[in-house]
Amino acid sequence: MNMSKVYKANVCKRENRKIADFLWSGVFPASITTMDSKWSRRTAGSLLLLLVSNLLLCKSTASLPICPSGAVNCQVSLRDLFDRAVILSHHIHKLSSEMFNEFDKRYTQGRGFITKAINSCHTSSLSTPEDKEQAQQIHHEDLLNMVLRVLRSWNDPLYHLVTEVRGMQEAPDAILSKAIEIEEQNRRLLEGMEKIVGQVHPGIKENEIYSVWSGLPSLQMADEDARLFAFYNLLHCLRRDSHKIDNYLKLLKCRIIYDSNC
Amino acid sequence: MMVSLHEQQSESLIHSLEQEKGVNMKENVASMIVFLLLLFLNIRLLKGQSPPGKPFIFKCRSPEKETFTCWWRPGADGGLPTNYTLTYHKEGETITHECPDYKTGGPNSCYFSKKHTSIWTIYIITVNATNQMGSSVSDPRYVDVTYIVEPDPPVNLTLEVKHPEDRKPYLWVKWLPPTLVDVRSGWLTLQYEIRLKPEKAAEWETHFAGQQTQFKILSLYPGQKYLVQVRCKPDHGFWSVWSPESSIQIPNDFTMKDITVWIFVAVLSTIICLIMVWAVALKGYSMVTCIFPPVPGPKIKGFDTHLLEKGKSEELLSAFGCQDFPPTADCEDLLVEFLEVDDSEDQQLMPAHSKEHSGPGMKPTDLDPDNDSGRGSCDSPSLLSEKCEEPQANPSTFHTPEVIEQPEKPKANVTHTWDPQTISLVGKMPYLSVNGSKSSTWPLLQPGQHNTNSPYHNIADMCKLATSLDKIDKDALQSSKTTEAAGEEKATKQREVESSHSKAEQDTGWLLPKEKPPFISPKPLDYVEIHKVNKDGALSLLLKQKENGDQTGKAGTPETSKEYAKVSRVMDNNILVLVQDPGAQNVALFEESTKEAPPSPSQNQAEKDLSSFSTAPSDCRLQQGGLDYLDPACFMHSLH
Repeated sequence: MNMSKVYKANVCKRENRKIADFLWSGVFPASITTMDSKWSRRTAGSLLLLLVSNLLLCKSTASLPICPSGAVNCQVSLRDLFDRAVILSHHIHKLSSEMFNEFDKRYTQGRGFITKAINSCHTSSLSTPEDKEQAQQIHHEDLLNMVLRVLRSWNDPLYHLVTEVRGMQEAPDAILSKAIEIEEQNRRLLEGMEKIVGQVHPGIKENEIYSVWSGLPSLQMADEDARLFAFYNLLHCLRRDSHKIDNYLKLLKCRIIYDSNC
Repeated sequence: MMVSLHEQQSESLIHSLEQEKGVNMKENVASMIVFLLLLFLNIRLLKGQSPPGKPFIFKCRSPEKETFTCWWRPGADGGLPTNYTLTYHKEGETITHECPDYKTGGPNSCYFSKKHTSIWTIYIITVNATNQMGSSVSDPRYVDVTYIVEPDPPVNLTLEVKHPEDRKPYLWVKWLPPTLVDVRSGWLTLQYEIRLKPEKAAEWETHFAGQQTQFKILSLYPGQKYLVQVRCKPDHGFWSVWSPESSIQIPNDFTMKDITVWIFVAVLSTIICLIMVWAVALKGYSMVTCIFPPVPGPKIKGFDTHLLEKGKSEELLSAFGCQDFPPTADCEDLLVEFLEVDDSEDQQLMPAHSKEHSGPGMKPTDLDPDNDSGRGSCDSPSLLSEKCEEPQANPSTFHTPEVIEQPEKPKANVTHTWDPQTISLVGKMPYLSVNGSKSSTWPLLQPGQHNTNSPYHNIADMCKLATSLDKIDKDALQSSKTTEAAGEEKATKQREVESSHSKAEQDTGWLLPKEKPPFISPKPLDYVEIHKVNKDGALSLLLKQKENGDQTGKAGTPETSKEYAKVSRVMDNNILVLVQDPGAQNVALFEESTKEAPPSPSQNQAEKDLSSFSTAPSDCRLQQGGLDYLDPACFMHSLH
């Protein structure tokens, strides 16, 4: 599907709607109520002309209706959606990275937890591409779905992370605030991604696949070391997965919006 | 017994010795073995060989998140050639791999190509150092390519100075991302930073450029050489090193326009200042007088300051014209000067000129007998001529009459009414104020009117007037064409003079009569009473009411100090030629106008004009000792 055409059609519709709104709400009432109708009539006429011509032009460019009929929130363009998604994912990874570094520095420095945190992320079962070639070979719809899956897999862990960090003695404010923000942004990103998916290939409602996280008991363990390791592991996996999402979205944005010419 | 004891003792002794010996033997062997072993080791150490020390992987780096390289630092050598092997295994795998490429990264490095690189995967890497003596293994290093991205610096850094119209020039910096990094697909997103400094400066000026590959620098010092560098950073990685320096010379003509404009402005203002200074210098005096008009000195009527200086109190007092001091109001009445008006036989200047020529500097003895009405030795013309000689004579005015004289001679109508002395006087008048000199105004003498009642006439001014008329006449003559009749000529002259006079901007008091003044028939001399002398030294003349009657009446005032001026001649245009009559005290000089005209209307005008008479800086008057009136005493003195 040619996304640029879809995009153009969207723009057309949006602009025409704006003109129509302006005409309907602005000019016509003015012409009716006030008696300096000459000016308003003239502007109304010109705007109508503009609208009609635009519609005719827009018809020619739009080959595919970008938004399925009946879709309510189809006003924001795909480009804007992707821009927002990339901003969110970038921000989430930045926060995750900072959070991990702070945690490591404060609690687990030099304890070699990394050695134990091998292959312990709950999302590793999701077959995500491991390098650029693999990522470029995957179709963008599949990649989008993969992103959705990873995002969904982190809803639960992030929620629990916040509660558990809050419960830690000497709860570090920096880590806690970051955790809270990551959780919120993740939810927003999920919504945005669902919108994008709805625009890119609407109609297909995939069954929601995601990885189940079962690390909650380890976060609540009494053993301090074990608990710390559980946190370390969670934060380490969060950092990695947020980077994955960010990378995939940037790839998709450049591919879909800019036609691989960022 | 003794023997048995001894034997027993010796037997026990031998026993113990033998036991000791056994122990010693064992110990000896052990020590021997130890000794030997140590010997061997010593020999070995003396040779310097040992197993290698533990290597250390100190850096792993990926330039584009597709490949990466690790470098290790070898440990102690051990003196033997050491072999290094790098082995790794990936997260989630159990297979151990060996480094695929030891060369690309340089010595003690391992380069992982794309095929061998996985992102979001932890690599556990170790290095084995092996030599003859042994081997050692480095600590494992856990590497995730995701977090070791450090790109190469940007390439193709170009600098250009751009000069847009209507805007200040700027430096346009452009570069390209490093060659290996894939930005187009979005695999890596780079952000750039540039820094620049003038060549000699110590500190760099850094600018963050975001994701764009170009940058505008606006604040530049012209005429300097700038060095520029750029570096980049992936979205979640490390900054690259700075690119090699690129330099550019900023041209010096940034401010040329400004400099030119300022130089132009400075020159212009200097010129304007000079002009103003010059104008002020030239007209300074008039401007100053405009702003600060000169305060006239106090003058008391009839009071001669010079006399005061000289100390001649008698004369001073006599100048007031009254016996008593301080002078009373009656003094004004007593200051009567009578002007002898010689009824002009002719009123033409030209004959006067001719006469003038004929007698340049004639002495008073050549007076016209007709005009003899009691002139004393202080004959005004001569006196005046003496006085007026000092100032520069105007030879031109003197000589021109000569020229004119010839053609005019045949005009018999014209009679000379001028005394040669007067003529000479006239001729020698240096000061010609026809052109409206600032300092004198001609008293208005209406034709046919005897504004003689009030106006004061200064001899000097009269002289001036005469000279001016002389000049006017000369001009008129020059411009006149043929002359036929004297009358015609006169008319032309008059007209010419009128026209020339009218051209003159000053308020000429001596307005040339519009009407032709008729030829004045010879009349007996009339006397004009000098009513008073105003402070400006103008004479106020009163026309004697009766022509011939009261000549002596008024003159008969007993004051001996009265001064009179005698009009020797009336010129064509009602100009009086006053002659000093020092001798005859009672001689009254009248001024007779050529026409009988009502005196009063013009009188005021004349008065006004005369009152506007400013003190003429005539040397003549000054010569007279600054007298504002005719002082016969002065003349007398000068004569003697």
